[in-house]
Amino acid sequence: MNGISGMQLSELLMKLYGNSAEAIFFFDRDGNVLGMNDAAADILEEDVYRQLMAGQSGAICQTCKGYMSADELQTCASCYMSKPDEDISSFQVYFDTKGKGIIPYSASIQTIDQENGIRAFLLRDMTHQFQTQEELNQKRMMKRVIKAQENERKRLSRELHDSVAQEMLSSLVDLRVLKYMNISEEALKKLQQTEGSLMRLLDDIRHLSVELRPATLDDLGLKAAFRTHFKWIEKNYGLAIHFDTDLESERYGGEVETVFYRVCQEAVFNALKYADVEEITVELHEQDDTLQLFVKDEGKGFDLYEIEPKGTGLGLFGMKERAELVDGDFTVESVVGKGTSIRLRVPVKRRDDA
Amino acid sequence: MKEELFNVQREIEKIQNEFDFDYVGVAFVQSADRRFELRWKYVTGNQSDRHQRLALQSGKGIAGLVFKTGKPMFISNADEELGGEDLYNYPIVVAEGLKSFGAIPLYKYNRVRGVLLAGYRTDGRLKAEVFREFQEWMGPQFGPFYSKEMVCE
Repeated sequence: MNGISGMQLSELLMKLYGNSAEAIFFFDRDGNVLGMNDAAADILEEDVYRQLMAGQSGAICQTCKGYMSADELQTCASCYMSKPDEDISSFQVYFDTKGKGIIPYSASIQTIDQENGIRAFLLRDMTHQFQTQEELNQKRMMKRVIKAQENERKRLSRELHDSVAQEMLSSLVDLRVLKYMNISEEALKKLQQTEGSLMRLLDDIRHLSVELRPATLDDLGLKAAFRTHFKWIEKNYGLAIHFDTDLESERYGGEVETVFYRVCQEAVFNALKYADVEEITVELHEQDDTLQLFVKDEGKGFDLYEIEPKGTGLGLFGMKERAELVDGDFTVESVVGKGTSIRLRVPVKRRDDA
Repeated sequence: MKEELFNVQREIEKIQNEFDFDYVGVAFVQSADRRFELRWKYVTGNQSDRHQRLALQSGKGIAGLVFKTGKPMFISNADEELGGEDLYNYPIVVAEGLKSFGAIPLYKYNRVRGVLLAGYRTDGRLKAEVFREFQEWMGPQFGPFYSKEMVCE
């Protein structure tokens, strides 16, 4: 028999029954339990176990919380126990287990002894697979959100820059024409003030547009966008940024450039918010077809394994996700009292149309 | 009185002495070709030089807020009222470690031209009454500037 003697086989089957992590039950035609292995006994509350062993049919319903159908997550409609002649090779079921609460199982039920109507019911714990799947879904979702957010920012930024700011500018020009008309000294003074307010408003709109997404990034590339951003940080927050790069005006794919810009932005903001430093260092280099970003501060630092993050806790996670979008590698190092550094490495191909 | 003849530095030192402030600073708005940035031109009692790098846009930071609203601002507990997480939006408060402070707009020709900020590095040391007292002591005039919005010109 497939190279295994009958003796060997029954010995192996006994071992499988005794040592398997899968729960195995045997039922007769009426749904009474004939036996179960240790793994099965382990997941049952004692009370239920006693009732099952005492031959009370229906005791299994106390622990089974329904199976998954196309219509419902947990249902009892056309229960798998109700049709003794039907085999179901794989379905998903929820069991209320001892000590672990309700957990999902992959189950199968099939007749192994036609004559006596004995069926075997097997349960395999799916918790781990589900977690993995959940994580995967979450990551995929996060990436989609990042992309959607970036597109929306781009759209709004363009709109502000191309439409709102342009309109503003033409009204400003109209207003300036007034200055050369024959108007009183008093009106001229008021006009100058209005012109000033409008120019400030125009500046505000431009800043807003850049904050959403800098056109410099799309038009001139990383180096120019970084420089503009650092200047802005320095002016508005007083944080000095030492920027070192050997890039000139190299261009990379739009996605890569966005990832670098956003990761750098996030890292600089983190340093600004939490590191309590006056200055930080940013390096951007390309070597052997790999673009590298390095952001370093010598501030407070933090415990990488701290469960409760400062702020939203999304920052570091987001940077990692962004890096993965372009097959990049993202690492954070931090020592309390010494400072924090992040490194982003992404394999790149240059865009030739720059 | 001309701006140049009015010694702002001497005046803020006088204010600092009178109220025993830890820090007093004055920010002025720059001309149009400087994009109307707000810069901290005169300071006393400062513990860092970070203010020199600051060039705030209208609406940003303490100076930007007072500039935009034209109203005084009073904070008795910076960590609580400005929120520890968002405190970085007020770089001068962070750099100087101010905990209780007040800021008043400085008007000229019905436009906010500058912002005067005075405060302590201790929680709750500047009380609402004291801030009022300080505003009264300052009077409506600060050299060529005045501290209340006036409709006439």
